[in-house]
Amino acid sequence: MRVAAGVDVGSTQTKAVVMTENGGRSILARALVDTGANVRKAAENAFVVACHSAGIAPTEVGFVVGTGYGRYNISFGNAQLTEISCHARGAHFVCPTTRTVIDMGGQDAKAISVGSDGQVLDFVMNDKCAAGTGRFLANAADVMGIGLDEVGPLSLRATRAVKIATVCTVFVESDILSYLAQGKKAEDILGGVHLAIAKRTLSLARRVPLEPDITMTGGVARNVGMVHALEEVLGTKMQVSPDAQFIGAIGAAVFALEKMDQSFESSMWRPEYATGSGH
Amino acid sequence: MPEVKQTEYRGSIHQRQKDLMLKWYERLNEAAETGTPPTASLMISGNCVELLEAFGAVPIYPEVNALQLAIRHQSLEPILAAEEIGYAPDNCAYVKADIGCYLKGITPTGGKLPKPDLVLCNFVGCNTYVKWFEHTAVLTGSKLYVLDVPFLCEDEPSQAAIDYVVRQLKEVVTLLESITGKKFDYDRFTEAVRCSAEVEELWSQIKHLARRTPSPFDAYFDAITLMGPLYVYRATPEGVEFFRAALEEMWQKVASGQGVYDQEKFRLVVEGPPPYPYFRTFRDMFAKWKACAVASTYSTVGGLWEFGARHDPDHPFESVAMHMLSQNVTNRNYLQRYEQIKRYIEEWNADGLIIHFVKSCRLFSAGQGDMRDYVTKTLGVPTLYIESDLEDPRYFAEAQTRNRIDAFFETLEHSKLTAKAV
Ligand code: SF4
Repeated sequence: MRVAAGVDVGSTQTKAVVMTENGGRSILARALVDTGANVRKAAENAFVVACHSAGIAPTEVGFVVGTGYGRYNISFGNAQLTEISCHARGAHFVCPTTRTVIDMGGQDAKAISVGSDGQVLDFVMNDKCAAGTGRFLANAADVMGIGLDEVGPLSLRATRAVKIATVCTVFVESDILSYLAQGKKAEDILGGVHLAIAKRTLSLARRVPLEPDITMTGGVARNVGMVHALEEVLGTKMQVSPDAQFIGAIGAAVFALEKMDQSFESSMWRPEYATGSGH
Repeated sequence: MPEVKQTEYRGSIHQRQKDLMLKWYERLNEAAETGTPPTASLMISGNCVELLEAFGAVPIYPEVNALQLAIRHQSLEPILAAEEIGYAPDNCAYVKADIGCYLKGITPTGGKLPKPDLVLCNFVGCNTYVKWFEHTAVLTGSKLYVLDVPFLCEDEPSQAAIDYVVRQLKEVVTLLESITGKKFDYDRFTEAVRCSAEVEELWSQIKHLARRTPSPFDAYFDAITLMGPLYVYRATPEGVEFFRAALEEMWQKVASGQGVYDQEKFRLVVEGPPPYPYFRTFRDMFAKWKACAVASTYSTVGGLWEFGARHDPDHPFESVAMHMLSQNVTNRNYLQRYEQIKRYIEEWNADGLIIHFVKSCRLFSAGQGDMRDYVTKTLGVPTLYIESDLEDPRYFAEAQTRNRIDAFFETLEHSKLTAKAV
């Protein structure tokens, strides 16, 4: 069996996907672990867990591509690629008609223009500041004392979304506090927060052609409120795969299969993986 | 992919450049200690250093001092000192580093910098210059003269604008006469203008060598190394000698087919100054991909000569005025900047454009989003837009910058591969 894997080491979570090519390409298993302080360890764990649930030994994996911020810390990877390339390829895998990817993660937001075979045509990313990213949302949830999982669904109930003027992750706190003091409803405040991020993301994404289909990827894609707000400002529906947060790892796994085809040999395995004992 | 390091141009020119810059700092130190030679603060962009040369005066370039500090990882302390007295976080960091140096008595080499005899603000394009030099004059108690150079809105400066600048240059002459106690030596001035014209010709020829594949030098990173002597020695025989040797050395590299890398994989045009506090790191990010800059707009801040303009010893005052008005990138309008980039891409045969947006430089960076649109959408050329600062280390995010650069080259590599396959 030809098996390859992709490991996406993000700032908050690390994802691994094991993929096989048997007639067509299909995902055998996924794993998700918190990145934490030890990036190297997180990558190893995610990979081993994914192998385990695929029912294979790590040694059976022919090629591993690492992606995400921690990609250079993946000690067992055969190649590294940026998550920009991997998100484009991953989105193309789950939805081949994808021409634009909007990716929102914990620390950054990006828009990628994608070609018909999943290649990157152009991309833009937010700058160093966390405005308009998952972090902004997490901060807002924190200030309001609401769980991050609840903010999205709650925001959908907004009837009169408030105006959040700032996109600054720090200043949003005082905006929210003053609305709370005015007695505004939590759902209306959250509605405003989601819209503010959506608008910010759109102004970034407009710098690429924004052609349909637009696929949303990244951890924030699990937030229904964010998807709704983005669709509202975009004026169109987006593709959101249940695998949204695995897209980077999926793309990396697709690349890994392709690189195997280009006859990269898998001799780069480190002996400690030969036992497949997990770490 | 293995990291490629130590790619900077390391010929004999590199050492000569260091020696020349050291000699400049020694002269400034001498001026600080003995009061001679006379000195004047000047901006790099579109300046009139030929006038100083006529009086044997030495230029002090605050921008060069600031970038030297940043490369040596010493810019934050003076920046913070300037912020302490009220400079805002988004003020031009060059200004803050320079002002902070005065406040703290810091110099890049540890030697002394003189109190300038004249603070000569050659205002071209960037209005930050005016406030910067006003404050320098207050801090040093030196005389201030602000040259008012009209911004270039049309393709060419009007005769009225040229006359206006020439009149001011003549006022500067009178001022320098009274400061130095010397009579203006017209022949010496003409000779300085002649040296400038020759240096410009040599520099232009060097830049044209980057049209070749492989390019014998990196027209961004290596050009910056050569820019020190270009600015400090432009109007001098030492400058002419240096650039003759540089051209010869480049020709040798061309003759032996030697490029920046063993194999040049990508050819780039770069817009904007580099993040000096992370100069080495930044360069390595491109070296990893064997990406060579074949042209850069930043290397035309001092003067835009590769398209033919030169100082003219037969019309020395007018040609200095022309240089200030139209032959430096900061005083040129956006459409001209677009055109410059377009010509580089086409005539220097580049694969893509890198825009480095400098947070604290409004002048250079405003409008670069539109520039990106123009190059990607109208010219159809891949463009990477990255943001940090030229002087303030706090704005540089290494992982994010690396990520963007890697992604850009992954994309370029892919499109090159598929183009080949077709
Ligand atoms: S051009 Fe930019 S870096 Fe230079 S002085 Fe003006 S604002 Fe500062």
